[in-house]
Amino acid sequence: MNMKKLMALLLTLAMCLIGLTGIASAETAGSKLAICLASEPDTLDPALNSAVDGATMVSHLFSGLAKWSQDENGNLIIAPDAAEELTEGVVNEDGTVTYTYTLRDGVNWSDGQAVTMHDFEFAWKRAASTELGADYGYMFEQVKGYPDDLAVTAVDDKTLEVTLNNIVAYWDELLAFPTYFPVREDVVSDEAWATDPSTYISNGPYTMTGWEHNSVITLTKNPYYHDADKVTMETLECYLSDDENNMLANFQNGSWQMIDAVPTSEIKLLESEYPTEYFVVGQIGTYYVCWNINEEILPEGCELTGAEAEAARAEIRNAIGLLLDRNYICEEIGQAGQVPASSFVAMGMTDFDGKEFYQNAGHSDEYVGYFNTAADAYESNWAEGVEILKKYYDFDESTQMFTNFPSLTYIYNTDAGHQAIGEYLQGALAGVGITLQLTNQEWATFLNTRKDGDYSIARNGWLADYNDPISFLDMWITNSGNNDIQYGRGAHAELAMYDLDLTPYGYDIKVEDGTWAETYDVLISTIKGCTDTEARYAMMHIAEDMLMSTGCIVPLYYYTDIYMIDDAVQGFFTNPLGYKYFMYTTIAE
Amino acid sequence: MNTKTLFYIFKRVLLAIVTIWIVITITFFVMHAVPGGPFLGEKAISAEAQAALEAKYGLDKPLWEQYITYLTDIVTKFNFGPSLKQRGRQVIDIIMDGMKTSAKLGLIAAVSAAVVGIVLGAVAALRRNTVLDKIIMVITTAFVSMPSFIMGSLLLIIFSVKLGWVPANGASEGGLILPIITLGLYPMAYITRLTRSSMLDVLGQDYIRTARAKGVSGGKIIFGHALKNSLIPVITYFGPMLAFIVTGSMVVEQIFAVPGIGRQFVSSITNRDYMMIMGTTIFLASLIVIMNLITDILYKVVDPRIEFD
Repeated sequence: MNMKKLMALLLTLAMCLIGLTGIASAETAGSKLAICLASEPDTLDPALNSAVDGATMVSHLFSGLAKWSQDENGNLIIAPDAAEELTEGVVNEDGTVTYTYTLRDGVNWSDGQAVTMHDFEFAWKRAASTELGADYGYMFEQVKGYPDDLAVTAVDDKTLEVTLNNIVAYWDELLAFPTYFPVREDVVSDEAWATDPSTYISNGPYTMTGWEHNSVITLTKNPYYHDADKVTMETLECYLSDDENNMLANFQNGSWQMIDAVPTSEIKLLESEYPTEYFVVGQIGTYYVCWNINEEILPEGCELTGAEAEAARAEIRNAIGLLLDRNYICEEIGQAGQVPASSFVAMGMTDFDGKEFYQNAGHSDEYVGYFNTAADAYESNWAEGVEILKKYYDFDESTQMFTNFPSLTYIYNTDAGHQAIGEYLQGALAGVGITLQLTNQEWATFLNTRKDGDYSIARNGWLADYNDPISFLDMWITNSGNNDIQYGRGAHAELAMYDLDLTPYGYDIKVEDGTWAETYDVLISTIKGCTDTEARYAMMHIAEDMLMSTGCIVPLYYYTDIYMIDDAVQGFFTNPLGYKYFMYTTIAE
Repeated sequence: MNTKTLFYIFKRVLLAIVTIWIVITITFFVMHAVPGGPFLGEKAISAEAQAALEAKYGLDKPLWEQYITYLTDIVTKFNFGPSLKQRGRQVIDIIMDGMKTSAKLGLIAAVSAAVVGIVLGAVAALRRNTVLDKIIMVITTAFVSMPSFIMGSLLLIIFSVKLGWVPANGASEGGLILPIITLGLYPMAYITRLTRSSMLDVLGQDYIRTARAKGVSGGKIIFGHALKNSLIPVITYFGPMLAFIVTGSMVVEQIFAVPGIGRQFVSSITNRDYMMIMGTTIFLASLIVIMNLITDILYKVVDPRIEFD
C-alpha cells in the first residue's frame, strides 16, 4: 500500500466516525411541541419540586383539586380540576375553617386505577411532613396540625375534609399549587419513582413517556385524564438546557417553538427582530439589596447607643436607598422590562380594594410606594439622601464627598447581571465618597454567608409562591429561616424601639417600645390568624411599613419573566408564578 | 509478556489504588470544609426538616464516621450512594447516563483527532518548508490557540443558525457532529504539531540515513521506522487526553446542550451534592490513572528498548 492510499483510508475512517453520529433532522409535526424551560430538573416529584420549570412540567402531569385556567375572555382563573367544585369553607367554633371537597367522576391514574381522596390525604401529609423535608413543605402551614399531624381526612373515596387554622384568602390558589397534587402511596414507596417514565404514574393531562436525563423529557397526552377531550396538544418535548445562547439558537433555527430564557445581551435585538414572538410578562418578585441590621455604619466617635443608634442607622440606610437610580438599573443594566421598585411587596399582589397591594403601599399622595421612583424625581431624592447623611457624617463641601463614612462590602453570587448591579452601586456611592467593596461568592457559599448574617450588604431577591402579600412578610419574623437581615437577632434582639397598635382592628394588642419579637412577630402571627380580610390587608401594610422603616430592605426592581414563543403556537398561557401552560395549544399551519 | 512486566503492572495497579484512596480522602475532607450544604436553598426549609434530611443521608454523624462508611460502601458493595440533589437517583446511574454520551462523543473526537493529526503531522514533516507544511502549521496554530467556547459558538452560529445544516442541541439526531468537531480540533492540532516535530527529529537520526543508504524503500522507512518511532510523544499526550475528553467538557456540553457527564462535575460542586462530588472525582481519577497505566504499557509496545522497573 502506498502512502497516498493509506492516507485516503485514514481520512475516510475519520469521516466515517464523524458520520456515525447521524444526519440532522429538525422537523416538528403539528401535534408536537418542542420547548425548553431549563436544564434537568432536580426532581419531578410534585411534593419535592421547588423550581418553576419543574412546576410547569408537574402541572402538565398531575391534576390537583384545582388548576390554573383561562375563562372565555382569556383571563386567568382558578378552576376546579379533580374536585367537582371549589367549595366555601365552614367556620368552626374555634375559628378554624373546614372545607369539604368531592372528587369528580372519572379521575384516574395513568395506569388506569381510580384516583381516590385517600391519595390526596396521603400526598398532602407526605408533602408537609418533617420527614420528607420538602422545600415547599411550608405551603401547608395554614393547615391545622402542620407539619406532622395535618388535619386532612378522606371521609370516603370521594370526599376529602381539610381544616385550616383560619380563613386563607388564597386557599383555592394553593389547591392548584404542585405541592398539593396527589400521589399514590404504592407508587412513591419506591424512592426512585419520579426519575423514570416506567414508574412515573400521574393523573394529569399528560403522562411521562420518556426521560433521557439531561437531554429531553417527553410528555404524551394521557387518555385516562378526566378532561382529556379538551387537551389539544398530543406531545410535549421538554428539552433540557440552561445555556441561553443554545436555547436561542434552537429557537432561531426552528427546532424549538418555545424557550423560557434568552441571553441578556441579545434582549434589545430580539425585541425589535421578533416583536410578535418575544414576551416580557410580570412575575411576583422583587430584586433588592439587604443590609445586615447589626452592621455598624455610624461614624467613629458617634455617641449614639442602643435604640437611638439603631434609629440613626435606619435613617442612614433609607437615605442611601435614595441615592440609587432605579430607572438606570432597569433600563441600562437589566434591560428586560423590569419595573423600578419602591416597595418590598412586589407588583402583581392584589389588595383588599382590588387595586394592587404595591399601589397602596407607603403614605404618599404624590407617588406609589415608599419613595418616588419617577425618573425626574431622582435628583431631589439624591439631594434628600445627602442632606440626611450630612446629619451624621462629615461632608466636604468642596469635593461634595463624605469623608468619614465607614467602608462597606457588598456581596453577591457570581453572575454577570448581579455584578453589573454591584458595580453600579459602587459607582453611585463613590459619588458621595462612600467606599463600597464588591465581593462575589459562589452560590452555595453565598447563601450560607447571607443566612448566617456574615455580611454588611448583600444582593437579595424574592419570588412569591402565591398571590398574597404575606408570602413577602412572614419571612422576616425572628426565627424565619429566610431572615437574612437578622431582624430580632444578635444585638437587635435587645432593642426595644418599635410600636404596634392593633386596637383599631379589634385586637387587644398595643405595644410601645417593644423589641422586634414583641412587635413584628406578634403582628405576623395576628395576620395569620385574622379572619377579617379588610383588617388583615391593613395589618399587612403595617408590617411592610415596619420593614421599610428599618431601611434594611432596599428594593431595586420588580422581576419580569422573559420568554419567546413561535407565533404559530396558539392557546398558550402563563401565570404570575411563571408557570407555562401548553395543554390547550395548537400549531397554526 | 514476561514476569518482569507482570510484576510492573501489578505494582502500578497497587500504586493506582493508593493514589485513588488519597484523592478520595482529600476530596472528602476538603468538600466538607467548604461552607454551604446540600439542603441549603434560596428558600429555607425548617431546622427540623433539615435535621431529618441530614439523618436520612447520614450527614449528622461525625465526619470520620461518614468517611469510614463511605469507603466501606465503595469497597464492599461498590455503592456510591444516592445523589443528595437529584432525589431518588443513584450517583452511579447519573455517571453512567452521562458517560454514555460523553464517551461516544469523546472517543470519536479523540480517535478522529489522532488519525487526522498523525496524518497531517507526518505530511507536514515530510513536506517540510513547502507551502503545504506552512498551511498546516498556520491552521493548527489557530486551532490550538482558539478556546473551545469561541470555536463552539462560531460553529453553532454558522452551521446551526445561519445554514441550518445541523441541529443546535446535542439531544437531536446529528446533534453530536458540532460538539465532536469542537472537542476534537484542539487535540487534532496539537497532535499534528507533536507528530511533525517528533518526526522531523527521527528523520534526522542516523538509522534513517543508514536505511536510506541501504536502499530501503521510502514507504518502509516512513511507516516502518520514522512514523512508529515518532509516536512516543503522541502516545504520552493521547492517554491522559483521552481520559479528559471522554469524561466530557463542561464548555462544549453547555454550548451544544449535550447530555454528558462534564456538567455534573461542576453542578455537583455548586449544589454541594457530596455524593456526586465524590462519585465524579473518583471516576475521573480512576480513568486518568488507568489511562496513564495503559500509556506506559503502550510505550513498551512501540519501543521494545524501554524497560519497566
